[in-house]
Amino acid sequence: MNQRIYHIILPLITGALFLAAWHIAVKCSGSDIFPTPLEVLRGLGELARQGLLLKYIVASLFRVSWGFGLAVLIGVPLGLVLGWFRPAFAALNPFIQILRPISPIAWIPVAILWFGVKDTAPVFLIFLASVFPITVSAMAAVQNMQQVYLRAAQNFGLSGFPLFRRVIFPAALPQVITGIRIALGVAWLVVVAAEMIAVNSGLGYLIIDARNAGKRYDLVVAGMVMIGLIGLILDWLVRSLEKFDEVRWGYGQR
Amino acid sequence: MKLIRTLVTVLTVWLLAITLLHGGLNLRWFDRAAAGVGQGKTFGVGFLPVTCHLTCPVTHYINQNMEKTDLFQPMRFSAFPELKEMFLGRPTEMPATFILAPMAIALREQGVKIKIVHLGHRDGSAVVVHKDSGIFQTQDLRGKTVAIPGRYANQRLILFRELKKVGMTFDDIKVVEMPPPDMPAALQSRSVDAITSGEPFMGQTELDGYGRVLWQVKDVWPGFISCVLAVQEDAIRDHRDEIQRLVNGIAASGKWIDQSMTHRMDAAQFVAKNYYNQNPRLLEFVLSKPPDRVTYSRLAPMRADFEEIERLGKEAGVLKGTAHYEDYVDESFAPDPATVQPPVFEVKK
Amino acid sequence: METIITVRDCWMSFGSTHVLERVNLDVAQGEFVCVVGPSGCGKSTLLNIVGGFLRETKGTVAVEGAPVTGPDPGRIFVFQENGVFPWLTVEQNIGFGLLSRPAAERDERVKHYTAMVGLTGFERSYPRELSGGMRQRVEIARALAADARVLYMDEPFGALDFLTRLKMRADLIRIWQAEKKTIVFVTHDIEEAVQLADRVLVMTKRPATIAEEVRVDLPRPRDLDSPGYLAARDRIFSIMGMDAHGGGAV
Ligand SMILES: Nc1ncnc2c1ncn2[C@@H]1O[C@H](COP(=O)(O)OP(=O)(O)O)[C@@H](O)[C@H]1O
Ligand SMILES: [Mg+2]
Repeated sequence: MNQRIYHIILPLITGALFLAAWHIAVKCSGSDIFPTPLEVLRGLGELARQGLLLKYIVASLFRVSWGFGLAVLIGVPLGLVLGWFRPAFAALNPFIQILRPISPIAWIPVAILWFGVKDTAPVFLIFLASVFPITVSAMAAVQNMQQVYLRAAQNFGLSGFPLFRRVIFPAALPQVITGIRIALGVAWLVVVAAEMIAVNSGLGYLIIDARNAGKRYDLVVAGMVMIGLIGLILDWLVRSLEKFDEVRWGYGQR
Repeated sequence: MKLIRTLVTVLTVWLLAITLLHGGLNLRWFDRAAAGVGQGKTFGVGFLPVTCHLTCPVTHYINQNMEKTDLFQPMRFSAFPELKEMFLGRPTEMPATFILAPMAIALREQGVKIKIVHLGHRDGSAVVVHKDSGIFQTQDLRGKTVAIPGRYANQRLILFRELKKVGMTFDDIKVVEMPPPDMPAALQSRSVDAITSGEPFMGQTELDGYGRVLWQVKDVWPGFISCVLAVQEDAIRDHRDEIQRLVNGIAASGKWIDQSMTHRMDAAQFVAKNYYNQNPRLLEFVLSKPPDRVTYSRLAPMRADFEEIERLGKEAGVLKGTAHYEDYVDESFAPDPATVQPPVFEVKK
Repeated sequence: METIITVRDCWMSFGSTHVLERVNLDVAQGEFVCVVGPSGCGKSTLLNIVGGFLRETKGTVAVEGAPVTGPDPGRIFVFQENGVFPWLTVEQNIGFGLLSRPAAERDERVKHYTAMVGLTGFERSYPRELSGGMRQRVEIARALAADARVLYMDEPFGALDFLTRLKMRADLIRIWQAEKKTIVFVTHDIEEAVQLADRVLVMTKRPATIAEEVRVDLPRPRDLDSPGYLAARDRIFSIMGMDAHGGGAV
């Protein structure tokens, strides 16, 4: 019961206060350009009636799923290998550290030159944005792994792939999942930038398109709201991975 | 491990589901399969939702409705940099595009093998200030912030020319670059003092009641060219017929737009709804108030126009002056404006 | 009895830190040997060398007739920091060293050793759900189940509370008697050493060597008030330069 009050009612109260403050601020400023929460809701309703809301959500989720999925598929093994083999680390780490701070927005021209304006370009941008946090966290997970697990495993005669599968991978998994969770946040964050490319669907596109459409800032904010809400759900989903027994030990007492 | 098994299963199912949904809702995979219509081998033509590029969607729409085929695929962008990158990086997918005239010339100067084959429209641009501002003539811009669409925008050149007439230069004003769609909001909030770009963003400020036109370009530089239709030389060599049909279509639909106010209002409706995703009132406004705010006749390239752009561009430091009319224009496609016949097409009501 | 561990003239340094100096050591088959010494003197280092996790700087170390080149599944280390795998259940941990054996035999052994360390009923629990003492039992059971002939134990009860420690000592002696393993047990707790060992090796401060060995020929379970026990304890205290009541020269 107490739990419920904390995790449902309190956020609802802050949410309501925020919406009220927003509404009052818009009304007081007298701006007819920035929308009130109600106008945003109407905008969302309009999009939903046109069937666009679902289409755009699906399009954005599609791009994020593939970009992010590929990033996990490549980033996790790459990071584990880099964390384990020193020569691979020495050879590739500087390169990764150079690529890592480059914002996905800087890659937009490259993405268009390489992939055009089909779905591939935003998928590529989202992939880029998420592959580095995943790789780096998997790498660190192996490097920071407790020595005692490695020694215990070696004591039982494990080496090579069995050592990797039975000990290194499970020992690194909690931190890998934390990395994945951060990366999913980043992937979803860049969806707007990624859809600035001339794709013609998606929540990012909705925002860009609403800017083109004249005074439709209600739709701009509607896009923002949807991105935020879906981001919340995605984070909640990845967080639920942390409840699995194989990794729960890695997250302290909760 | 249970976690890994769950994750792999859930992700696989999810990827499949979202891909099918996306394919169904956005890519129309199943519609096409059902209708049995292949997407034919058409090429892309880039455009922005601005009036300079109106002939692109109009040609596409008329062609679709009269011939029931796609002559080309209009590809909408939100800003010139992305459009330019697609044009340069994927010339086979998008061999032709509407683009700012000075930008096309600059690309040619930089060695990109493209040719201007047609114009987008004439006039259709303005300098707009806030209605409550004290700016009533060009001189009043001294010390003010003016937003322009970009370095290679023709609006920059015309501003340069008008400033020069009253003895000013760019050093006397503050110039900021801004995507045209953001300009109205910037002017409304008065974070800039004046804005200039193609329509309909200038008209929007008037329609919404906070913008006042300082001058229309048609009044200071009649026949002003903002954008042109540029084509990759490779496409001209390998696909001459298609390019010719494209240019014919553009020329004819220009004529069609200028044929009557009904056509203009129809175009405003179907373009706003199907291509620009804007409020149709906006296009109606800029296409009618006044009617010569934007014109779509006389769209064959003419040497004098471009030499003026070249001269101004050089003087303003935007162009190097190393490419000339015969380098960057191919006149052979544009039909003689006098002989162009508008298509016989009326929008069914 | 047959000697199973032989260390001869073993030296060890980490860079310029000299940790071990001229260490000699013999352990017989089935013997329970404790190594005591002040903190930081090099007890863990010595045990890690014998266990194959560290290479000595100089000297020879042989176990079961062959020079030690690395860890060996026949000789299992029980770590000072708990080495139980937190992502596996109790029974998966105990069966960890048995994966190459037939499933029936594996289940049998896991069951047997789970019972021996008193963890029946916790087979499906994860280590984070267990107390410190229970986790330490899992690690011991894991070593026994894998049929290790030798156990190297590095302060395995160091992190446990006093009562648990007493109970664990009694259990360890019971298991040792039942299983006839050779155990080398490192501790800084002199009382613990005297309660457990057949023989206590006392190390000096760093750079350490073995100062003396004290034989504890007392019947088990040991009476902690018996004169023999007290004598052995006080003997070790005096070797380490203190008296049993904490005073004395250092
Ligand atoms: N890997 C290492 N590198 C450098 N010094 C070490 C290393 N391991 C142990 N030492 C040093 O060797 C000495 C003995 O350590 P250790 O064997 O752990 O002592 P203890 O008797 O408490 O188990 C300590 O001074 C410690 O700092
Ligand atoms: Mg130690």
